[in-house]
Amino acid sequence: MAAPHRQSRPSNALFAAPYLVVFVALLVVPLCWGVYLSLQKADLFGLYGYTGWTNYARVLGDALFWQAVRNTVVFVAVTVPVLVAIGLFLGLALNARTRGAAFMRGVYFSSTVLSVTIVTLIWRFVFIPGDGLLSLAFEAMGWPPIGFLSTQGWSLFSVGVATVWWCLGLPMILILAALQQIPGDLYEAAALDNASRWRTFTRVTLPQIRNTLILVATIQIVMQFQLFGQAQLMTNGGPNGTSRPMVLYIYRAAFENWDVGQGAAASELLFLIILVAAMGQFWITNRGNKA
Amino acid sequence: MSASIDIHHLTKRFGALTVLDDISLAIEDGEFVVFLGPSGCGKSTLLRMIAGLEAVNEGEIALGGRRIDTLPPGERGVAMVFQSYALYPHMTVRQNMAFGLENVGTPRDEIARRTDAAAKVLEIDHLLERKPQMLSGGQRQRVAIGRAIVKEPRAFLFDEPLSNLDAALRGRTRLELAQLHQRLGTTMIFVTHDQVEAMTLADRIVVMHDRRIEQIGTPMEIYQRPATKFVAGFVGAPAMSMLPLSGVTRGPLGARLEVAGVGHIDSAVTLPEGFATQGASIGIRAEDTRPDAGADTGADRGTGAGPDMNTGSNTGSGPNTGPGSLPLTVDVIERLGDRTLLHGHLPDGTVLVAQDTGRSQVAPGQVVPVGVDPHAVHVFDAAGRAHHAGEVR
Amino acid sequence: MSGTAPTHGHSRTLFWAAAALSVLMFLPMAWVLVLSVTENEALSRGTEAAFSGPYTLKNYTDIAGNSGVFRWFANSLVVAVGQTIGVLILASLAGYAFGRLEWPGRRLVFVIVLFGLAVPEQAVIIPRHQIFSTLNLHNTYIALILPGLSLPFGVFLMTQFFRAIPPEIDEAAALDNASRWRIFWKVLLPLTLPAQATLGIFTFLFAWNDYWWPLISATDKDMYTLTVGIASSQVNFAQTEGLGFLAAQAVFAALPVLIVYIIFQKHVVTAVSGGAVK
Repeated sequence: MAAPHRQSRPSNALFAAPYLVVFVALLVVPLCWGVYLSLQKADLFGLYGYTGWTNYARVLGDALFWQAVRNTVVFVAVTVPVLVAIGLFLGLALNARTRGAAFMRGVYFSSTVLSVTIVTLIWRFVFIPGDGLLSLAFEAMGWPPIGFLSTQGWSLFSVGVATVWWCLGLPMILILAALQQIPGDLYEAAALDNASRWRTFTRVTLPQIRNTLILVATIQIVMQFQLFGQAQLMTNGGPNGTSRPMVLYIYRAAFENWDVGQGAAASELLFLIILVAAMGQFWITNRGNKA
Repeated sequence: MSASIDIHHLTKRFGALTVLDDISLAIEDGEFVVFLGPSGCGKSTLLRMIAGLEAVNEGEIALGGRRIDTLPPGERGVAMVFQSYALYPHMTVRQNMAFGLENVGTPRDEIARRTDAAAKVLEIDHLLERKPQMLSGGQRQRVAIGRAIVKEPRAFLFDEPLSNLDAALRGRTRLELAQLHQRLGTTMIFVTHDQVEAMTLADRIVVMHDRRIEQIGTPMEIYQRPATKFVAGFVGAPAMSMLPLSGVTRGPLGARLEVAGVGHIDSAVTLPEGFATQGASIGIRAEDTRPDAGADTGADRGTGAGPDMNTGSNTGSGPNTGPGSLPLTVDVIERLGDRTLLHGHLPDGTVLVAQDTGRSQVAPGQVVPVGVDPHAVHVFDAAGRAHHAGEVR
Repeated sequence: MSGTAPTHGHSRTLFWAAAALSVLMFLPMAWVLVLSVTENEALSRGTEAAFSGPYTLKNYTDIAGNSGVFRWFANSLVVAVGQTIGVLILASLAGYAFGRLEWPGRRLVFVIVLFGLAVPEQAVIIPRHQIFSTLNLHNTYIALILPGLSLPFGVFLMTQFFRAIPPEIDEAAALDNASRWRIFWKVLLPLTLPAQATLGIFTFLFAWNDYWWPLISATDKDMYTLTVGIASSQVNFAQTEGLGFLAAQAVFAALPVLIVYIIFQKHVVTAVSGGAVK
C-alpha cells in the first residue's frame, strides 16, 4: 500500500489519456493496420480481399526492389562510417571552451536544421551540369564535365554527399557531449603516466566514448536506411533506378502506382531490415568490444 | 491549536522488509520530541508516516485525539520542514509561504497578515520577493520554517532540518528553534542522527534502533541511565567503553564486577540474584574514569579520587593487582584542551577510553591505573538490558 | 583550466583543420546566397554571372509577388506552431502521468510507448494516409498537424524531466493541501519550463522541415507547406522562373529555421546532447 499522496489510482491515467489516444490512433493502429494491409490486395481506394503472402512474393520477386535494397545497403554502409568518423573528428577538434570552437560547432550544426528541400536545392545548385558550382570549377580547371546527378554511380554518390553535409551535426554534438563527460583527472592521470597523445586517445578517450559511438552509429543506421527526400528530389532515383532507395520504392508503389498492398509489404520488409541491421550492429559492436 | 500525538502499535513494511515494528508512543501537547537514531533505523519513516507521506500498514496515529492515519497529508493539520527544504524554486518567498494557505482558500488579507508576521519573526521580511535560488542555505531554512509556521499547524515535523547547514549556523539555528518552540508552544517532532541536537533541543528523546524504540526519556535520563547497551553506545562522545564481564561477587557498595585477565571494578550497581554473566558487559564513560598518572611516576596527584573511588593508587600495589583499578596501556592521546582522552587497551585487549585533565602528563605507551566511579558504572546483560546504580547522582 | 587544457586531448592542429574544412559547409550556402541576389537574366546566360553581377534584390521582391510562396510559408507556420503547442500539452500531461503518478498498468504502457520510438515513419505512413482519406481530412491543417503529435519523443523527454524533480517538492505540496491538478499546474509544470523550451524548439524545427507526410497529404497547391512547395518548384529545375528566383526561395525558406536556430543555438545543442547522454 503506497502513501496516500502517491497511491495508485486509475484516475491518474487521465493525465496520459490525451496522448495515448493520439498514440494509439496514429501510431499503434497504423502499425498493425500496415501488417494487415500487406496481406491484402489493396489500392488507395479500398481493399479487395486477403491474398496471403502474395504481396511479399511480388516484392521479393521484383528486380527493382532488390536494386533498391542494394542501393540502400551501399548507401548506409558508406555514409554511416563517414558520418561517425567526421563526427568524431569534429568532436575532438571542437571540444574546447573557446569562442572559436563554439562558433565552429554552430556552423557545423547549422545544416542539420534545414529541411530536406533546402538541402537538396542547395546541392543541386552545386551539382547541376553546366550551371553548378562544381561544373564551373571543373571548367576552370579544364577537366571534362561530369553529370553528377545523371550518371550511374555518381548520382548515388552525390546524394551521399548532400546527406553527409546535412546530417553531420548530430553525430558531432553527441560525441562532443560524451567527450565533455570524461573527467579531466583521467587525462591528468594519463599525463602523469607519461602517455603519449595517441595512447591517451586510444586508451582513455575512445573507451570512454565507446557507448556513444555505438549509439551514434545505431541512430545513423536507422536514419540512413530511411533515405527518401534527397534521392527523390536530387535524382528521382535515376538513372535507371541506380540511386533509388527502398523508401522511394515504397513511395512509388503506394502513392504513384497506387498498389497499397505491395507498398505495405515493402514497408514491413524495410522495417524488418532496419531492426535487424540496428540490432545486429549493436550486438557485433558490443561483443567485439567485450572480447 | 497545538495537539498531542498518539501512536498505537504502528508497523511499516516495504514489501517483505519491515522497517518499523509495533511502535507505540505518546507525545504530549506542546512537547518537543526528538527521534534519534542511526541512519536506517526508521526514524524518518516514522515522521513521514505522521505527515502522511508514507502509508501505515498496521496501527493508528491520532492527533489531538482524532485519528489521522487515513487522511491525506494536507488535511492532517501538520506542517513539515524537509531536510532539503523542498522550497518551490519558481515561487518567491512570499508565494512559497502563501501556497498552502491559497490551496485551502484562506482570504488574501489573512494570508498577507500571517506571511508578514512569520517573516518578521524569522527576520526574512526583506527577502519576501526573492526566489529560493537567490537565498543562502540559512535563509532557505528560515523560509522553510516560515512556510510551516504560516499554516498554524497543530504539530511541526522536522526531518533533519539542520544537516545541510555549516557548523556555526547549525548551532545558531538550533538555539532559534528552541526559542521558537518556547514562543509557539506547539508540539514539535524533530528527527536527527546528531545527539547534540537531540540533547539540546528535546523535552524527550526517542532513541530508535533497528525498527524499534530503544528508549524514551529526557536527555539526562538517556545519557545517564541508558536503557540498553545500544543507547549507551550511541549517545555520548567518545562512545562508552564496553568491558566483558566474567563474574560477579559482593563488593562494598554493590556488585564487584570481575573482568577476566584484567581485575575487578567495584560498582554501586545491584544485580538480581542469578545474574548471568555470559555475554554481559560493563559500560564505562570516559568522564567517569580517573586515570592515575601519578601511580606510574610515583607523584601524588591528589585530585579526582573521591573516597569511594575505585583507585589502586593509594594501595601501594602494582597496577595489575590493585583492587578495583584497571591497568590501561595508553596507545593514543587525544588532547581536547579542557580535558585529555586516553585511548588504550587493557591486558585482555579490550579497548578503553579514559579521561584525564587538560594538563595530563601521560605519554603513549605508559601503563596507567584507571579508577572508575562506582555510581557511574553500567552493566548490560546478554540481551543488552541495562542495570544502573541505585540512584542518579 | 587553461593549464590543463593541452592534456585534455584537445589539439590546435585539429581545430584549425576543422575551421578550414568549414569552408565546405559555407560554400554551398554562400553559392545559393550569391545566386539569389544575381539578376535572373544574367544567370540564364550562365551562372558565371554570379561572380560578375549585376546584382539585385529583385528575386526577393518577386517572392512577394508570388502568392504561392507566402501561402506555403503561412501554412508551414500554422502547422509548425500547432504541432508544437499540441506536443507540449500532450507530452507535459503524459510526462506527469508517467514520471510522477502511479496508476495500474503504468509501467507496461510506458514500455509500449517507448517501443514507439523505434517505429520508422515508412512503417505507418501508408495506413495513416488511408485513415485520413477515410475521414476525408487530407488537405486540412488537422491532417498536417495530428500525426506529429503521436511521436513518443516528447513524452519520453518530459517523463525524464518530471522524474528528475526532487520528490520532496511534491510532498511539500501534498502537505500544503494541493490537489493533483494544482501540483501539476502550479508546482511541477513551471519547473519543466527549460524542458518545454527544448521540446518546443525541436518540435517546431521537426514540423517545419517535415517532408514526406505533407507531400502525400497536402495535394492541393494551396495546402502545401513551404517544404513541399519549394520541392514542387524544383521539379522542372532548369526551366523554372529562373535560378536566381529559385535560390531566393531557398534562402527565404531557410531563414526562419536559421533564425530560430541562431537565437536558440545553445538550447538546441544542449538539448540534443542532454537528451541523448541520459
